[in-house]
Amino acid sequence: MNITNCKSSSRNSMNLVDRYVQAVRFWVPKAQQDLIAEMAEDLRSQIEAKEAELDRPLDESEVSAILKRCGAPMVVAGRLGSKQYLIGPTLFPIYVFVLKMVLLWILLPIFIFIIGPVNLGNTGGDWGLAVARTFGDLWSGLFVAAGMITLVFAILERTQVQLGLADKWDPRSLPPLRKQERKPTLFHSFCEAMFSSIAIVWLLLLPHYSGLILGPARAFLQPGLLWHTFYIPILLVALVGFLRPAITMSRPQWPWFPHLAQLVQTGLTLILVHAMLNASIPTVNGDWHPFVVLTDAARNSAQYIRVAAIVNVSILISLASTWLGLSIAGVIQTWQFLQYLRKKKFVTAQPASLQAQ
Amino acid sequence: MYVTYYMANGTNNADVLENLKLELRRGCLIVAVLAQLRLEQYGYTLRKALADDGLAIDEGTLYPLLRRLETQGLLVSQWREEDKRNKRFYRLSPVGEQILNQLLEEWNSINASLRKILQEAQI
Repeated sequence: MNITNCKSSSRNSMNLVDRYVQAVRFWVPKAQQDLIAEMAEDLRSQIEAKEAELDRPLDESEVSAILKRCGAPMVVAGRLGSKQYLIGPTLFPIYVFVLKMVLLWILLPIFIFIIGPVNLGNTGGDWGLAVARTFGDLWSGLFVAAGMITLVFAILERTQVQLGLADKWDPRSLPPLRKQERKPTLFHSFCEAMFSSIAIVWLLLLPHYSGLILGPARAFLQPGLLWHTFYIPILLVALVGFLRPAITMSRPQWPWFPHLAQLVQTGLTLILVHAMLNASIPTVNGDWHPFVVLTDAARNSAQYIRVAAIVNVSILISLASTWLGLSIAGVIQTWQFLQYLRKKKFVTAQPASLQAQ
Repeated sequence: MYVTYYMANGTNNADVLENLKLELRRGCLIVAVLAQLRLEQYGYTLRKALADDGLAIDEGTLYPLLRRLETQGLLVSQWREEDKRNKRFYRLSPVGEQILNQLLEEWNSINASLRKILQEAQI
């Protein structure tokens, strides 16, 4: 804009305005450039009005104060320009939902249950290296997946694809109401405590009566050394299994306890099963600890050797399945506990709800 | 319609009030701008007139608003030279005149309802 006709203003002051306008123009799209011209005219009118009021030209600091009041160039450009979205408000909730589904419920479990164990195998059982590799892969995987999803949604936003979400819906096709979260009933906790106490008694009797687990097979099979090593930890986990429902019954004022205790019990069991699996899997040196071994009388029988092998493999598969099931349960229980904490925080922070027409 | 009044811990009440005041002003500003532009004016004089009447509005808010109202057909504008400077003059279009009258009716109706509600609530 030509400023030479502003006779009353000093050249330096108008130079400052031009520099300011140029800085704002840099951030404003071409379609909105005429707004810049209007704003520049407004600024000059302000300076002129002030000069008329003071009956002298403004100095640089006074012009600078007017421009400062107007705002930083980037902020002013943001106000002048039209609102721009990478992903608009219509698509944004769907974008967040898809992002959560893919990252939390697909990618994370794949890395924990598939990529992690594969890395563990590839590193020859080196846990540290396997975890580091898995985290590295997970980190880049999360970025790539999030980037791809964002790109797809940004393209949807730009191409204005009509998903027809506003029209193509039927109230009758809405999902049913979610069931209210059910607290463990007294009867449920009582049954759990009772069965846990039976299990503890059974475990306590086991060292003296091996028939309780082996049945008639005790004639040619006996528990391996592994059970002696893990007997106390198993007993302790069983004790936790008894205490959890017992405390739930006796402390109903602790609503957080069942969630947390269940999670702790799952974690402890998972650690125990993992340690048992580690001990039972043959090492590179050929050392391993079978679950059952043959008695001295049956040691040379080919038939019993085959039976012992089948029993060992069956127990190994059962433990591996248990480990997988507990891992999934652990993820779900962690999620449920976090949901519980979030709800609790929300309820605490929400003192009132007003209904208005 | 359900309005949830949510006050999280640490929320600054002054910020909440400022946001609510901005929301309240937003609709009123449009009516004020349309009413002021019954007489032709350019940006700076319009801003000054609004500020003198107690409704100050910054450049970054006014010019995009004028652009939007013009796109909606409520204003007409013209670049013209005055005092050897190019200025964009705005005035209300015939459609804008009609819309302004309807908005003022709505404004009066809302005002009356609000007064009634406040009297009933004895505020």
